[in-house]
Amino acid sequence: MRARSALALAALVAALALLEWGAPRLLNPYYLTIATRIGVAIIAAVSLQLVSGFTGQFSIGHAGFMAVGAYASAALSVYFGGGWLAALADVLPGGLARALYFPLPLLAGGALAALAGLLVGIPALRLRGDYLAIATLGFGEIIRVVILNVDAVGGARGFALSAPGVDLRYEDLGALYAVVVVSVAVMARLAYSSAGLAFRAVREDEIAAESIGVPTTRVKVLAFALSSFFAGVAGALFAHSEGYIHTNSFSFVRSFEIMVFVVLGGLGSISGAVVAASVLTAAPELLRGFGELRMIIYALGLIAVMILRPQGLMGSRELDPRPWLARWRRRDAAARA
Amino acid sequence: MENLLQQLVNGVAWGSIYALVALGYTMVYGVLKLINFAHGEVYMVGAMTGYYTARALGFAQEPSGLGLAVVLLAAMATCAALGATIERVAYRPLRHAPRLAPLITAIGVSLLLQNAGQLLLGADPKFFPPLVASREALRFGALAVSNIQLTVLATAVVLMAGLELVVMRTRVGRAMRAVAQDADAAALMGVPVDRIIQLTFLLGSALAGAAGILVGLSNPKIDPLMGLMPGLKAFVAAVLGGIGSIPGAMLGGLLLGVVETLVAGYLSSTYRDAIAFVILIAILLYRPSGLFGAAQQEKV
Amino acid sequence: MPLLELERVTLRFGGLSAVSALDWRVEPGAVAALIGPNGAGKTSAFNVMTGVYAPSEGRVRFDGREIGGEPSNRIAALGVARTFQNIRLFRALSALENVVTALAAGRRPGVADVLRPPAWRSAERALRARAHELLLRLGLERYADARADALPYGEQRRLEIARALATGPKLLLLDEPAAGMNPAEKDALRELVARLRAEFGLTIVLIDHDVRFVMGLCEHITVLDHGEKIAEGPPEAVRSDPRVIEAYLGADAEAGGA
Repeated sequence: MRARSALALAALVAALALLEWGAPRLLNPYYLTIATRIGVAIIAAVSLQLVSGFTGQFSIGHAGFMAVGAYASAALSVYFGGGWLAALADVLPGGLARALYFPLPLLAGGALAALAGLLVGIPALRLRGDYLAIATLGFGEIIRVVILNVDAVGGARGFALSAPGVDLRYEDLGALYAVVVVSVAVMARLAYSSAGLAFRAVREDEIAAESIGVPTTRVKVLAFALSSFFAGVAGALFAHSEGYIHTNSFSFVRSFEIMVFVVLGGLGSISGAVVAASVLTAAPELLRGFGELRMIIYALGLIAVMILRPQGLMGSRELDPRPWLARWRRRDAAARA
Repeated sequence: MENLLQQLVNGVAWGSIYALVALGYTMVYGVLKLINFAHGEVYMVGAMTGYYTARALGFAQEPSGLGLAVVLLAAMATCAALGATIERVAYRPLRHAPRLAPLITAIGVSLLLQNAGQLLLGADPKFFPPLVASREALRFGALAVSNIQLTVLATAVVLMAGLELVVMRTRVGRAMRAVAQDADAAALMGVPVDRIIQLTFLLGSALAGAAGILVGLSNPKIDPLMGLMPGLKAFVAAVLGGIGSIPGAMLGGLLLGVVETLVAGYLSSTYRDAIAFVILIAILLYRPSGLFGAAQQEKV
Repeated sequence: MPLLELERVTLRFGGLSAVSALDWRVEPGAVAALIGPNGAGKTSAFNVMTGVYAPSEGRVRFDGREIGGEPSNRIAALGVARTFQNIRLFRALSALENVVTALAAGRRPGVADVLRPPAWRSAERALRARAHELLLRLGLERYADARADALPYGEQRRLEIARALATGPKLLLLDEPAAGMNPAEKDALRELVARLRAEFGLTIVLIDHDVRFVMGLCEHITVLDHGEKIAEGPPEAVRSDPRVIEAYLGADAEAGGA
């Protein structure tokens, strides 16, 4: 078992390294942008899955937390990061300096978003179902309006990640996907442990969960904080790869899109959310010609899925290669016998 | 002082429009426990129907009482049909699905209507025909009430009174109240629940259509995305009054209209939209059942 | 010292008293019953004892400690476990996962779950092993990986008991455990309850409105009606108490008979 996971890990690192080296050489900038956006969408979707699909707390203001992460990290980079990066670059080779610096705005964005998540979550979690959803919607909008009124991060003009003499953009696909993989792995491991069963217990039946000693309020708050942390990381990645952010990118429509990823992929399936986020982010970009119809197709598709297959693509199961591997191994052994 | 009274009059006029839309939310929530996110778009369709009907029938050039009546009826009928269709196609199949499904579907329908509206009608704003001349109708010193405001108030009052009558004094209304209290029991008593739910949507959407016309009169610039904010605000009004409560929706709408106008008048108009959200959060945190709603207990 | 003690406990909802001035003691190691006609306040009493509601008046003591008004999860951690009148399993989770959740309930998801060092792995294995053992002891082993809501009705009730036992309680409260069971199943349940007391060293309190089921099983019976205690004592005494018979008005007057 250990040898297999070591092998898998090595393969993963190799793939990321290949991506880092190969992507800028093999893909044109348009596809690079799509790949970046897919990465961001994956983290956003999985983080929403954690709080909504696993813990059953329906949050429809998720883009608000992404906004906090995006703006916080951007502000850090623009006002302080330039200096730090330059200082690091004096001492270390360029690539290493950048690699050391960029986790900082990511973590800062995540941390501030987590704080926002606590501020929203702690009062809102007294509410149930529809009311919670509406409260999160309201908070998401309030966050956006507040950011819009902060001139230091651009206000209505948007915020550009530029500082004199320093490139604050981070577009290394390999590093970006390393962050994606780590984020998804962290969330998956937390959700699929015996302690993580508490999340789903809260979703299934709060009163029963309390009766067996699960501190449901604390679990919900934790889910909210974790989910907003990673939403913030996604926002920070978005900010640093796009190089320019505006609150329009974090409106309720964005929250809705992320919710579509989660619901279509299957509430409670991390792999479902990953697949849905990837496909639904890539498709409209590649079908650019359908511009105006995009949202209509989304909405129609969503309604159709909800009516015909409300459990989404994967339901609450995960893509698991193991049964396939086992079958392949058996067939292989039989053939050799 | 007179300025305050003027603001109050303005606020009540707006508030009655919010109330008409809020009624649709509250009635649907009462019978289905569903937040009909698409309701704001029904209101938009009402305004748009009014616009196109007036132009098609030649009422668009000058004030006309007949024009107003025709347009009002057309909008109410169209919206009623739209609301009933949405219920039949998008919500009824999900009657027994987990609570999140109809919520998401409702959001989907809302976005569908917004974007379809933009595609089919063009995203640029249109100007609602001046069916009621903008003239001062009443004056008390510095306090002025315009023709339009009077029309809005009168129409809203008549419609709300009509609704009260239907809900409280007719058999059908009693059936609606029964379904809102306990749909299963009502079904056992022989109430045709599906039909009553359809009727609820019909009535609520018709009111929203009327609200769309009244808004067109008061604020002639209309566009396919006009339903978003007012829809959200009317929802807040319904929650404020106690979602599921008809008098609550009326009071909530009026209150919201007044508070909003006062805030815009005395503090700052940029916060006008934010006020609704602040009220929403405050209600949800301190009194989720609203002014007239009943607190819900889960039986263990 | 009684394990559980209710002192003048009252529970009010709006103007209605679900429980009125209830005095009740449960001794350690007892198998006791709380009975009464529908609406007597039995489940409400359980709800007060397990922290679902705080008592409007009066005190609740468990193992000498005041627990009135404490949150449910803290009371559960102190050693009070319960099942529910309408089965409340984690339906989308497997039978095994239902039990593991209870075993792991005290622990918050954290860094160890992410890094998964060897110590974590053996701890997880141990948890699953304990869960399997519990399922085995309750005859549910073959349903371990089945979804909880796929189990047959009787097995679902046993699973709920298994989950409650997983918290390592001192006191087990069973709310209408025999509801919906046929006589053969009720006999099996009776044996199970007796076995639970012996094997797990538990104090057990049952709610049921089937007087006959309770008679053969419990040593001490408390009868509620309209929220008030109307009788208390060993089965024979309660069975022939005229107030009890009258409370079950219309119910078979020989219900208490052998």
